[in-house]
Amino acid sequence: MSTLKAVYYINQFFAGIGGEDKADTGLTVFDEKKGPAIGIESMWNGEMKVAKVLSCGDNFINNEENYESVIPEIAQIIREINPDVFIAGPAFNAGRYGVACAKLCDYVRRELNIPSVTAMYFENPAVRMYVRDNYIVETGETSGSMRQALPTLAKLSLKLAKEEKIGPARLEGYLPTGHRYNEYHEKTGAQRTVEILLKKLNNEKYVTEVPLRGLEMVESADPVASIKAAKGALITTGGLVPKGNPDGLKQAFSVTYGKYDISQLDSIPASDYESIHGGYDTTHVNEDPNRLVPLDELRKLEQEGAFGGIYHEFFTTCGIGTNVESGKDIGRRIVADLRQAGVEFGILTST
Amino acid sequence: MKLTRQYFDVKDVVWGKELGYKDGVLTINKEQLLEQAKSYLKAVTNVDLEIIKPGEDVRIIHLLDTIQPMYKVEGQGQQYSGFFGQPDTVGEGITNLLRGISVMESAPLPWDDSASSGLLYPRDAIMDMSGPIAGFTPFSETINLVVLYELAEGKSSAEYDRDIRQIGLAIARELAQLTVGQEPDETEVFAINEVDPDLPNIVLVWKCQNQGVYSNTLLYGLPIDNLVPTLLHPNEMLDGCVVSGNYVWPAFKVPTYLHANHPIVLDLYRQHGKTLNFRGVILGRSHNPTNWHKERSANFCVKIARYLDADGLIMAWEGGGNAAVDGMLTIQAAERVGIKTSTITFEFGGKDGTEGILLVDDVPEADAVISGGSIEKTYVLPEVFKAVGGDFLRLNKEAGGYFPPATESITFDTTTHLYLSGNQSGHSKLFAESY
Repeated sequence: MSTLKAVYYINQFFAGIGGEDKADTGLTVFDEKKGPAIGIESMWNGEMKVAKVLSCGDNFINNEENYESVIPEIAQIIREINPDVFIAGPAFNAGRYGVACAKLCDYVRRELNIPSVTAMYFENPAVRMYVRDNYIVETGETSGSMRQALPTLAKLSLKLAKEEKIGPARLEGYLPTGHRYNEYHEKTGAQRTVEILLKKLNNEKYVTEVPLRGLEMVESADPVASIKAAKGALITTGGLVPKGNPDGLKQAFSVTYGKYDISQLDSIPASDYESIHGGYDTTHVNEDPNRLVPLDELRKLEQEGAFGGIYHEFFTTCGIGTNVESGKDIGRRIVADLRQAGVEFGILTST
Repeated sequence: MKLTRQYFDVKDVVWGKELGYKDGVLTINKEQLLEQAKSYLKAVTNVDLEIIKPGEDVRIIHLLDTIQPMYKVEGQGQQYSGFFGQPDTVGEGITNLLRGISVMESAPLPWDDSASSGLLYPRDAIMDMSGPIAGFTPFSETINLVVLYELAEGKSSAEYDRDIRQIGLAIARELAQLTVGQEPDETEVFAINEVDPDLPNIVLVWKCQNQGVYSNTLLYGLPIDNLVPTLLHPNEMLDGCVVSGNYVWPAFKVPTYLHANHPIVLDLYRQHGKTLNFRGVILGRSHNPTNWHKERSANFCVKIARYLDADGLIMAWEGGGNAAVDGMLTIQAAERVGIKTSTITFEFGGKDGTEGILLVDDVPEADAVISGGSIEKTYVLPEVFKAVGGDFLRLNKEAGGYFPPATESITFDTTTHLYLSGNQSGHSKLFAESY
């Protein structure tokens, strides 16, 4: 087997060009190894060589115009070499350097179809921007962690070059990309639940298996300026549908919603509507659907002139087990309908 | 409190003339065993049995509960106390268990008005003895005596539920009773009396589903709807004080077998005196109806944990998103008073794990969460040689029903119908690996 080839990207500092004062330097191409490219090659035991080292100043490459102007040249160099892998960094917690590394890795992987890998600290702003689709080996905050990071980067880059199957983040040493697939662990869930608690109690390092991605806060809408003239819509996550569920809405894990005409109704009759929701006892709603979608009382208020009118359809879905992304999508589609119809407020009833 | 469990391995189950257990072989005379069912034949009109073994190309459907056959030979009360007599406190003395076998209930519970609400209708629980989903349940590795029920028409959900359960428990009792007087294959002693002051004290909080008939958990024979969290000695659970009556979400339910062999209880026991002191189980209701109830439940759990000088608390729950809120509030309440916590739950995340949040609810204090696997994954169940429990699956009631042939290949885009795939008691090795 012939020796594999890597192209390596570093910034002006690791290329030995200079510090902050040289951060505006444009593209430099080295045939000789520089910086981390020297150390990493010896870790490949002759299986792979660094064919070329590319370097740009951090300020230069982070300027969008400069980037656009230099990227065809970089692409041309890489195409000519046709390496088996593209490597950038480690950038540690250096923001501009991190973004340059991750952006180039993303470009090379996507546009040139060559596997790529970089390395940096988990809080580097580039991680949030690029980690979903790119391999980023975890490093410490500063270049003091180079010695620990380089063997992991060497191993992963060689695997990528050989087109070997890349294992899970915790075993390969890259930052989790957010992709998660069902597999079987060597230990049961019960064992791991006890183990992680013991680690926590014994002040040992522990890593949660399910990262919290943070619940998004939803900002309240502005108050309706003039309620007397405003038209409103009824929306429920309580699963009220015409009997027989004509649109086949799901009773859980919803991906869509139904809308049903109420323009001729003064209240919602129990004889014609039912809740199909799979997460609460629907007995009381089925006795009187207005308990969920309060059309009866709203019609009275409408006649009293409390507001401008009720939209001619009510909207319904089942809010149980619904993926947040599906929930957002359902919400956006309902709102688009309502915006177009000039509806100014919605009454949302959940269960 | 000291409990001795005597395990009797079941290496094979065969049909025969005389009901008996000898040299690891359980012989079943169907008529003789079904004598146990006779006095409960009210909402149930007829009962049949099937023996299913590991590795078979078999799909079991319409699964309700799965029971650990056991029989109390010494000490107060009976196995599954509260079902065949007074609710005597159990957990002491000697109990015989058949190991390697389960008693499994399968019945097409009616979809008519007897299941009064969308929440409380029984959803088809499906398991395969081999193939891609076999690892979701521990019962692909046990011999399963499947009890097949024919149901009377026009009975209430409570009547079906009661008779099915009583028959299952009676059959399990009868089988385990066959071991009386014989030498066990293994004996295990369970006691937590000794507390090592150098080891951390740990409690398990176990919140179980209760929303009505078909979505129920029973403690000493009664539903837990009116229960504030209470303290159990883990031995009470080992003797079967908690029994499942939950048929709503196949992925999230926990069968009686896993209450009585709760994987976290057993693991805490195995670590007791070595790495930790197991101080007890706090049993409560999950799916509490309001935030007020949920906060009260969380606070009661933590109060009991503090009485037990707990340093650590494992929060585990049966059920879906509603129960997750109860669990997260309990974690928060515990961490706020310095009790460290861990938990296990199924997760979401969509096909590749990147879609949105992974949990329905979380609190920042939940920083040690074990993955029970993602329910939002597609599984293709292969064609199987045989289906037990019925000829057709029963799916999508809300959309008028969908009844595909049970032996044919079928694709599910979530695991909600796949028995125990939510891994809520930590029984399986299924988890979502992070790439």
